[in-house]
Amino acid sequence: MSQMTGASSLVASLEAAGVDVMFGIPGGAILPAYDPIFSSSIRHVLVRHEQGAGHAATGYAQVTGRVGVCIATSGPGATNLVTPLADAAMDSVPVVAITGQVPSVAIGTDAFQEADIRGITMPFAKHNYLITNPADIPRAIAEAFHIASTGRPGPVLVDIAKDALQTMTDFKYPHSVNLAGYQPKLVPDNQSILDAAALITQSSKPVFYVGGGIIKADASRELMELAQLLGAPVVTTLMARGAFPDSHPLNLGMPGMHGTVAAVTALQKADLLITLGARFDDRVTGKLSTFAVNAKVIHADVDPAEIGKNRFADVAVLGDLKNTLSALIPALKAALGKNQPDLAPWLRQMNSLKAAYPLGYDKPSDGSLSPQYVIERLGKISGPEAIFAAGVGQHQMWASQFVSYENPRTWLNSGGLGTMGYAVPAAMGAKVGAPDTTVWAIDGDGCFQMTNQELVTCALNNIPIKVAIINNESLGMVRQWQTLFYEGRYSNTSLESKRVPNFPMLAEAMGCVGLSCEREEDVDAIIEKAMGIHNQPVVIDFRVHRDAMVWPMVAAGASNDDIKIARETAPDWDSQEL
Amino acid sequence: MAQHTLEVLVENSPGVLARVAGLFSRRAYNIERLSVGPTADPTISQMDIVVNLEGHALEQVIAQLDKLINVISIKEILPDKAAPAVHDTQPDYQN
Repeated sequence: MSQMTGASSLVASLEAAGVDVMFGIPGGAILPAYDPIFSSSIRHVLVRHEQGAGHAATGYAQVTGRVGVCIATSGPGATNLVTPLADAAMDSVPVVAITGQVPSVAIGTDAFQEADIRGITMPFAKHNYLITNPADIPRAIAEAFHIASTGRPGPVLVDIAKDALQTMTDFKYPHSVNLAGYQPKLVPDNQSILDAAALITQSSKPVFYVGGGIIKADASRELMELAQLLGAPVVTTLMARGAFPDSHPLNLGMPGMHGTVAAVTALQKADLLITLGARFDDRVTGKLSTFAVNAKVIHADVDPAEIGKNRFADVAVLGDLKNTLSALIPALKAALGKNQPDLAPWLRQMNSLKAAYPLGYDKPSDGSLSPQYVIERLGKISGPEAIFAAGVGQHQMWASQFVSYENPRTWLNSGGLGTMGYAVPAAMGAKVGAPDTTVWAIDGDGCFQMTNQELVTCALNNIPIKVAIINNESLGMVRQWQTLFYEGRYSNTSLESKRVPNFPMLAEAMGCVGLSCEREEDVDAIIEKAMGIHNQPVVIDFRVHRDAMVWPMVAAGASNDDIKIARETAPDWDSQEL
Repeated sequence: MAQHTLEVLVENSPGVLARVAGLFSRRAYNIERLSVGPTADPTISQMDIVVNLEGHALEQVIAQLDKLINVISIKEILPDKAAPAVHDTQPDYQN
């Protein structure tokens, strides 16, 4: 035990928690902590906006599987973290946020830069703390890392009053954390495993409905073994792209609002959903009362509140997914030994749909650049090891559809909260976590204008990410909805970003290489040029056709049975044997 | 609809009432009656929460409450006539 300031105790606690990097900006209330940070072994990346710090922590966490850390001052510094923390909560990302708070005697007086960030983050943070006694700092940090990274991961905020950082205290980091009210159940009950195995053997139309939980649990290898053992089709949700290789013949692609016909139909027509770390989100189920009406449900998850939340589970398997799948594989082997269902007709139907309705797109008739083509080439040229972070909107859906994901933790996006502006700072965090890997931000021109200031951070800190702006000079997804549902009345969706700003010049001004491309024949060469730049961030302004739309589509609130493959065009169900 | 009482043991720490009340609010559930009192252990308080919920909604409230780190345990006091298990799902909506 040694005497030090609360600030030194905070930094020593972060070091003890194994932190190697954090993203943040100093300010008045957190200033005492920045003095020991100055001499700490922890790398601090000075961002340009606290939102960038939060998304960078998320990107770092999603790529490495470790806890991402961001740090900000009180008041506006802290409130700027609200969006990335809400984002991390929706996508179950382990993040710890440290914020300074006004001195404890000033709390409640509407002091300068005072905001009740604990109260503000209470509705979505997995947990949070307000520390006014310096002696509580090591325990709070240890608990925050434990809570953020175990069970269903999520964001934890530790708000520390300035005087607690300035006062002398004894530093003693706890060896272990034991919280009476937080004991996540990680090992599934044997009976639930046996019930799941039995139900699987009674099914002739099973489908693996795979969510982001598989990636969080690092259970991709187990999923591969299980899927091959049963030989049932697999669908990977937006959060699970890469959890199971796209190239595998059993993979039907992404389900949901912009899912493949095969993946959407597999869920609709299945007699059993083997749900692994997924949560029956409205973007996947469409109109819930018409979702997979003939299916029984096995729901395996580490969060008991997800089971039965939106859809009744016939068999609930509560536990860490790696443990669950490790137990389910031998149990299923034994069960299949007694009763091997014939899945051949079901697989034949699904493969027929997969062949009849592959993802595709029409190139613009006026010869302008197709956004889908650009994204497809980005994936092909960068290869299966590259990491892609997307913003939110059309480019996000195309990046999910037209890049082939072969490995977990190579696809980052804001799935739950749908945070425009996520891509650039998340890619920054990802590149810090995986410095030897190519990291692309696939961004829209709308998203890019929300958070591009972090390219300055990237340029100054040797974080050479690559950014592909899919510039359709519009808030493209909103425009698509206006086309389809608002009679083409394009209220406030035209950004005019082919005129202003000049993205390559903006990139150059921020210390990046700025490139531009508007012809299909130049796409490969310009991507390869970007791939050859290793010492600077690169931004490519891909000037694409404005009216490209994301298909297939299930309209919001509609049944998945009403999937359209183009405007007013349903799949030809009569030609399919279903 | 039958009233159910939840006996919730919570850590006696600042903000716990706000966490519990906020959870009911943001998940759009009503609290009929709420009382908070001490227990023999000064570090633990007891909340008695009366809700007009049953079936799926009641199960969800309990599951979500249990996720709060400061909630230690939840005991459901059954009404006189036990309600049958209802496995309804969320209502449909457009978003």
